[in-house]
Amino acid sequence: MFSFLLRRVAAALGTLLLSSVMVFLAVQALPGDVATQVLGRDATPDAVAALRQQMGLDRPAWERYFDWIKGALHGDFGTSLVTTKPVGGEVAQYLGNSALIAVVTVLFAVTGSVVLGVLAGLYRDRWPDHLISTVSLVGMSVPEFVVATVLVLAFSVTVPVLPAVVLYGPGAGVGQLLPAVWLPAASLAIVMAAYIVRMARTSVIDVMASEYVTTARLKGLTTWRVVTRHALPSALLPTLHVIALNVAWLVGGVAVVENVFNYPGVGKLMLTSVQNRDLPVIQAIALISAVVYVSCNLAADLGSMALNPKLRTRGGRIR
Amino acid sequence: MSSLKLPVGAAGAEPSDAGPAPVRPGFAARTWRTVRSSRPAVIGLVIVAVHVVVALLAPLLTPYHPTTGDAAHALLGPSADHWAGTDQYGRDVLTRVLYGGRYALGVSVTATLITIALGTVLGCAAALRGGWLDDVVMRVLDAVLSIPAILVLLVIVTALGTGPSVIVLAIAVVCVPQVVRVVRGAALAVAPQDYVTAARARGEGTWAILRREVLPNISDVVCVEFAMRASWVVLLISSLSFLGFGADPPTPDWGLMVSENRTAITVVPMASLAPIIGLATMVVGLNLAADGLSKAWGVDRIREGV
Amino acid sequence: MTTAPKAPIVSVDELSVAYRSGSGGREVPVVQEVSLEVRPGRTLALVGESGSGKSTVAATLLGHLRHGSRITGGRVAVDGEDVFALSARELRRLRGGTVAMVAQNAGHALTPSMRIGRQIAEAGGEVPVTDLLEQVRLERPRELARRYPHELSGGQQQRVAIAMAIAARPKVLVLDEPTTGLDVITQRGVLDLIGALREELGLAAVLVSHDLGVVARMADEVCVLSAGRVVEAAPTRRLFAAPADPYTRRLLASVPRIADAGLAVVGEDGTREIRPRADSVGAVDVVDVREVTIDYGASRAVDGVSFRVRRGEVLALVGESGSGKSTIAWSLAGLRAPSGGTMRAAARGGAGAVVGGGSGGRLGARPGGDGPLGVSSGGDSDGLVGGASGGDGPVGGSLGGSRGGLSGVVSGAGSGGRADGPLGVSSGGDSDGPVGGSSGGDGPVDGSYGGDGPRGGSPGSDSNGSSGGSSGTSPGRDGDLAAPARRRPLALRRAVQLVFQNADTSLNPRRSVGDAVRRPLHFFGTAGSRGEAATRARQLIADVRLGPDFADRLPAQLSGGQRQRIGIARALAGEPDLLIADEITTALDVSVQADVLRLLDDLRRERELACLFISHDLAVVRGIADRVVVLRHGVVVEEGPTDAVFAVPGHPYTRALMAAALEPDPEAEGAVAAAEEWADAAEPGALWDDLGGGHRVRRWRPADG
Repeated sequence: MFSFLLRRVAAALGTLLLSSVMVFLAVQALPGDVATQVLGRDATPDAVAALRQQMGLDRPAWERYFDWIKGALHGDFGTSLVTTKPVGGEVAQYLGNSALIAVVTVLFAVTGSVVLGVLAGLYRDRWPDHLISTVSLVGMSVPEFVVATVLVLAFSVTVPVLPAVVLYGPGAGVGQLLPAVWLPAASLAIVMAAYIVRMARTSVIDVMASEYVTTARLKGLTTWRVVTRHALPSALLPTLHVIALNVAWLVGGVAVVENVFNYPGVGKLMLTSVQNRDLPVIQAIALISAVVYVSCNLAADLGSMALNPKLRTRGGRIR
Repeated sequence: MSSLKLPVGAAGAEPSDAGPAPVRPGFAARTWRTVRSSRPAVIGLVIVAVHVVVALLAPLLTPYHPTTGDAAHALLGPSADHWAGTDQYGRDVLTRVLYGGRYALGVSVTATLITIALGTVLGCAAALRGGWLDDVVMRVLDAVLSIPAILVLLVIVTALGTGPSVIVLAIAVVCVPQVVRVVRGAALAVAPQDYVTAARARGEGTWAILRREVLPNISDVVCVEFAMRASWVVLLISSLSFLGFGADPPTPDWGLMVSENRTAITVVPMASLAPIIGLATMVVGLNLAADGLSKAWGVDRIREGV
Repeated sequence: MTTAPKAPIVSVDELSVAYRSGSGGREVPVVQEVSLEVRPGRTLALVGESGSGKSTVAATLLGHLRHGSRITGGRVAVDGEDVFALSARELRRLRGGTVAMVAQNAGHALTPSMRIGRQIAEAGGEVPVTDLLEQVRLERPRELARRYPHELSGGQQQRVAIAMAIAARPKVLVLDEPTTGLDVITQRGVLDLIGALREELGLAAVLVSHDLGVVARMADEVCVLSAGRVVEAAPTRRLFAAPADPYTRRLLASVPRIADAGLAVVGEDGTREIRPRADSVGAVDVVDVREVTIDYGASRAVDGVSFRVRRGEVLALVGESGSGKSTIAWSLAGLRAPSGGTMRAAARGGAGAVVGGGSGGRLGARPGGDGPLGVSSGGDSDGLVGGASGGDGPVGGSLGGSRGGLSGVVSGAGSGGRADGPLGVSSGGDSDGPVGGSSGGDGPVDGSYGGDGPRGGSPGSDSNGSSGGSSGTSPGRDGDLAAPARRRPLALRRAVQLVFQNADTSLNPRRSVGDAVRRPLHFFGTAGSRGEAATRARQLIADVRLGPDFADRLPAQLSGGQRQRIGIARALAGEPDLLIADEITTALDVSVQADVLRLLDDLRRERELACLFISHDLAVVRGIADRVVVLRHGVVVEEGPTDAVFAVPGHPYTRALMAAALEPDPEAEGAVAAAEEWADAAEPGALWDDLGGGHRVRRWRPADG
């Protein structure tokens, strides 16, 4: 078990390292380097060269990469080219706002979808299944911005109970932002839940057809007990990884939805940074997203260990 | 009372599903039969087909031009002349929606084809070869997956421009890892089968095993993955356009249309809703097709009966 | 049925069940008008081949039907209650409380995420879990209860499943193939346990089984099912002594028995005739395996195994799961490299014929029958002898050669074994012996040698030329089997062909049967043109006694036995010297098994085919094998001619295996498995006790205390 854990953590760190290299290289590939960005297109070559030297841009790429990583490990991601403030603090502020949406989304999407998915699986081919499957299919088929637009039309325009756009900056407090959280969170939760519902349904059907569930039934157990004790632990295993992937997907999904609602979160920051070519900020966001992704997957692995004694005792490999 | 036949020629009873037909059904015939047996798949494929036809015939279906507008007739509601009204530049919304399918289909299908082809080869190679190749491929792909797709797309588009070829490339980068995962999983399930072992024992090369033994048996997975991935790509491209990084403004694109007309949603709701309907029906069609196919082929391991 | 004083506790009355696949499919009757009764304390066996509906009937006793099935007539009453008329609550009380089931595969029937103690406790009843575990003769019950299913062996899992079934002290036990998939000795233990519990608890039992040996031992009455109908029902003794129905007679006759001195040939009317053993065994070694060890990571699966297979001989590797018998097969087939020892294939004339003759189209490449010896010895000794053998056969000549010196050193270990060859050549081999012996010790030398083989053996050289021309490059089929398949010369790959246990997965479901047989013909280059390949594929399909029109079918359109025949045809397409049959009849019904065994026996007679027959079933081995090698934990404990080994088994393990084998005869009280405690006493240099005639036993001594 210990070696399994160790292997997983090592793999996670390897992935992180690899993605940091990719992020660094990709951002390097963006046209126009930082010096040109800062000084503008009309700057004299001398001035650009001087600034390049000052910023250390004339050093080889790998040296700059290690500097960046070293800084990142201490929370120092450089300074923003636009606001000239430290990137770390700025990203953290936006990130906090996004986390508010994320927590609400995950809470609703995960609990709701697992329950619905299991229900659909249990009532396979009967009306609850058809209803849930159809709704989740539609949920899967519309992009976040459409859900967001429709929700705005419903809850801000037709029945104006929730704000359609956020008027506060990134520094707004939780109290100010809270009313504006619900619509973005709902948009994300609907899309996200659709995927989890389908996965949960499939694996519940699979497990319910297994021999050990039949055996449990033939022992004379109640359906409730069969489902909760015998079927669910195994049925949730594959679902866990889908949940992890979806939580990681949130980081990207947030970009679109926050843009719709003008919500001051990391997604909006990402968009404006790309527009402004604010390279240090892009790098920081990408790296942080990678950390989120990797830790979600790691958490899912730990979760499967909790659910699957085979992994716990033998340290087998999950595919 | 039944009696057991023990002819020299054929041992054992005929399996009940054998039927008398000794003719080998080809893949196409089998596919057609499976598809017909699944209602969602038929509905899905019909929806997609309608979209394709409409996109191809768009110029014949509407008298208006998709990009030139008549400023005098801006922001009109639905009428006999403009069934879905006009937008802020006075362009016919229905025309733009009809033409919008061209961009969505063209870019998505190309991108998906490339993605699936690349992903299938990589996934099979990783599964069959195993060892370090598998480890390296999976690690690299995991690293790509760890960065949000939208961010990768934004960076690539910012660096290389918003031409359709760039978007196709960007989509491939983002989607290949997921296809590889799925295909690799399917190939891993086939690899330990005895017929693959038999080929290995003959000493056949990896490529021959892949082509002859593995690919025919994961073609159903690949097909389903194609439909699934295509729907995903359509969504991604529309999101990109919505954010202003996809199709360039005058182009009739659904995502772009929603973002252009969203501000006027209270005035001309149809200008936003029409492209949404176009987008949603196409993706629902693709998803239904994927669903139906996977169910008919048993890809998602939901066994119907036997 | 005997008139018992007590009223039946189970009575099934004219039961019919139909199954509908999918939503649009038509309804197929699975069970038709089946009636049966079980009285308290008695055991009824439901016997039949796959698809006979026996498991479906058994499950109805618990009110269980497969998804998509429904009762179309009749009723099932247990303890006076109509099972299918019960409410959900009453049904739950019936299950576990009155009727309990032991499922076929305990490994799948136990919930993987739950400790077994809790799973047993859940089944209800007053008996403490530890007592239950003790009752099923499991040691250290307290500790065991805290384990998860995957931490137990197959036998333990089955015992846990039984403990779970008897937890609530039911009146009826339904046993669905309770020992299928278990090793013989484990099976014997589980059956003894079930028998004892039945007595202790006064249970009535319904036993579903395809294994007539199990039925003969366990049942009081037998009900034979075929295609969903009852064919015959009778008390066990009467049924086995005088089966009335022809189906039952054939079924019984098809079961191989441990006392058969040869293969049983079953007639249409159920008569059985023992076919004398083939006298086709040649003197020539086809494969020589010496001191082979194979490791899986840190664990050793095969440890110093040696054996030889001669032309036309069937050598059986017998052992339980984990004995390493299949590992040896895979290694010979080039799928797993051994970590030590040597494995060599001897050359044969036929190889040369095909390599040289190209599309000569000689189906039976056998004619060169005498050639091989010459060729192989040519490889063993120096070029001189090779030259001599070249003169021997039309083919062999091309293979003799300058390589002789090198291969002589490398394969020296093998040459000692060929001392019994009729040609004077063997003396050359003998003289090489010492050298070979030393090189036999280190595998790597062999590996490197195998490496340069492929080019020599490549069939592309369609040389009909002079023997001198090809002799330099072609070491022939005398080859190193330690090399993985891909690095073997093409001729050597053909020399060893594998037939798989599971016919369902051994054929590509998306390719026609003809395609499966044609592929090796193409790949090995033995068929010149498309047309020729197709013709020969049809011929091969006919050779395994199937109609040529089978070539156009897909594997899904074939029955298990037919698929297994195609598997054999595919292997024959390589024109192998050695056919490895890895448990090829294990998954087949008994009548189909008899057919496939007979086919195999016919083939080796016709083609002088050497066969390595791997099986766990001693009765099957007795019928088909000329010699037996008994494996235990990767070590050979006994080997010798089949009749000798079965007459006087020398090793306690062999004796235990034989004692555990069940005969389809209720009168047979089989040698009581006196649990003979023993310990290995083999020492380097004194491994074996030779009993004469090639029968030898690994040294052992009675265990102390």
